[in-house]
Amino acid sequence: MNLYKIYSSFKLQRSKCDCFHLWSRFQIFLLVQLAQMAATKVPEVRDITRIERIGAHSHIRGLGLDDALEPRQVSQGMVGQLASRRAAGVILEMIKDGHIAGRAVLIAGQPGTGKTAIAMGIAQSLGPDTPFTALAGSEIFSLEMSKTEALSQAFRKAIGVRIKEETEIIEGEVVEIQIDRPATGTGAKVGKLTLKTTEMETIYDLGNKMIDSLSKEKVQAGDVITIDKATGKITKLGRSFTRARDYDAMGAQTKFVQCPEGELQKRKEVVHTVSLHEIDVINSRTQGFLALFSGDTGEIKSEVREQINAKVCEWREEGKAEIIPGVLFIDEVHMLDMECFSFLNRALESDLSPVLIMATNRGITRIRGTNYQSPHGIPIDLLDRLLIIATSPYTEKETRQILKIRCEEEDVELSEEAHTVLTRIGMETSLRYAIQLISTAGLVCRKRKGTEVQVEDIKRVYSLFLDEARSSQYMKEYQDSFLFNEAQSASMDTS
Amino acid sequence: MEPAASQRVLQYLTEVEEAAEDVLTTKQQIIDLDLKRNQNREALSALKHEVSDSEKVKVCFGNMFIKFPKSKTREMIQRDQEQLDKEISDLRKALKAKVNSLNEMQGNPELRGYSLSPLSAQELKAINSLLKR
Repeated sequence: MNLYKIYSSFKLQRSKCDCFHLWSRFQIFLLVQLAQMAATKVPEVRDITRIERIGAHSHIRGLGLDDALEPRQVSQGMVGQLASRRAAGVILEMIKDGHIAGRAVLIAGQPGTGKTAIAMGIAQSLGPDTPFTALAGSEIFSLEMSKTEALSQAFRKAIGVRIKEETEIIEGEVVEIQIDRPATGTGAKVGKLTLKTTEMETIYDLGNKMIDSLSKEKVQAGDVITIDKATGKITKLGRSFTRARDYDAMGAQTKFVQCPEGELQKRKEVVHTVSLHEIDVINSRTQGFLALFSGDTGEIKSEVREQINAKVCEWREEGKAEIIPGVLFIDEVHMLDMECFSFLNRALESDLSPVLIMATNRGITRIRGTNYQSPHGIPIDLLDRLLIIATSPYTEKETRQILKIRCEEEDVELSEEAHTVLTRIGMETSLRYAIQLISTAGLVCRKRKGTEVQVEDIKRVYSLFLDEARSSQYMKEYQDSFLFNEAQSASMDTS
Repeated sequence: MEPAASQRVLQYLTEVEEAAEDVLTTKQQIIDLDLKRNQNREALSALKHEVSDSEKVKVCFGNMFIKFPKSKTREMIQRDQEQLDKEISDLRKALKAKVNSLNEMQGNPELRGYSLSPLSAQELKAINSLLKR
């Protein structure tokens, strides 16, 4: 488990700093050791049904607000950013009440000020029933699909439809099955099935078909079964607890259940939530429903979408369906170009539209695909429709808190001094860099068989891995010795 | 506590208790009716398989057995069955409203999708692949 955590954060680290940093023998040693450990421990890890890897925002469990929507200083993995969290909380309540379908929110702020964290917090507090779709601005640029198609699929993934299924079933524990086969071997079989619940017991006469499906399911006395009244389908739920001692040896997959309570003939109601996109996919005939699982859905015709919209609206009128407007989160929204923005304008006006949350870290910059400058790289007409939430840089105290939370998340013990040093690093370089140092320092600490990360460990990794400022400093100094070096351009081209 | 306040609390609790009791009674009633329905069903199949047509059958009314012609008995039971089916479905409908009002009284949120009407079998078949995940 721990190894995987280390490995994931290490991979992150590796992709961040380029290969030319790998001059240190110790660093290579670390990598090799890690690879060895991973290789030897892998079978052990595989036993766990779900491998939880630690993501950058895995510590966030909500927005950290109290019932009156007042933000707590530190709660649910969130630290500081009180004003923006409160704003997000207000929006969250409106989403929950279903008030603001078809609105859009922009979270703007400098890098590393918790924009994605706030969006994750919103997603976490929406609960499992409200659809939340997240994508990065650059994800929509694909060869297989037009940009607007990718966007409309994302839009429709963020709208849920709640429907209800109702079935009449007979549910009970099998007391006895009696099947009479004719002596000649051919001809109709007759039988009787005795079922009971805690309240009653009754005998059913069995026809040929039921006998066949009962023997196909290998139903025997002591099993708890359900029979779907409409289709006659038999489902085995398990064996009754009272029959647990029938045999000494039992298959591992044998499940024991209680004898059902109440009436034998029950009505079962199940509520499902599906997204509009899923309904689109199964109805897009050329693909068939298999497309849903292979992940390659291709483009969906607009006629199909219109038909689905009409059908869903019809269901809503008849009281058969509820529409749940969810949330579509687009990170790095400045990566979208002019076409996408005008599509967004249009899509927000449709009556089946989710709440759109966007995040960007750009100031006044060129709108992609044009030569016009605009705040956040978003055209003014779209900007006009948005509710804008700003995030501000973290203070030293908040940085300290965040680092503490991350340490807990990554299972690294930090001494008091090391924590202070790390906080200073976080303030002077960047919060992300400081967070990267946690797991690497933890690894160095374990290498020397320590239990708590000390200042020396931090120093060690600080010298091994460069932060952004030191790395550019290094580049400037040794520019001439690198390949393909060009004269320094004034700023990064962002389009 | 003031007498007025305690009176109010007592009244509220009584109301909740009553509503809960009502729900339980309805549930028990459904069970009893289903028991009756199953007995009737057994009787019908017994009439079909085990008695010859000309014979009269003994039917138990209250605590008295009366000989009755078979066809008439069957008709009677069938009518009874229809009546039972209707009564059970009415009770189920009422039970829903009762559970809702109990939830409301206790300040619990309403169940999700509780008031939806079900999709028809055909519609379900169309999106079946989505539901059996």
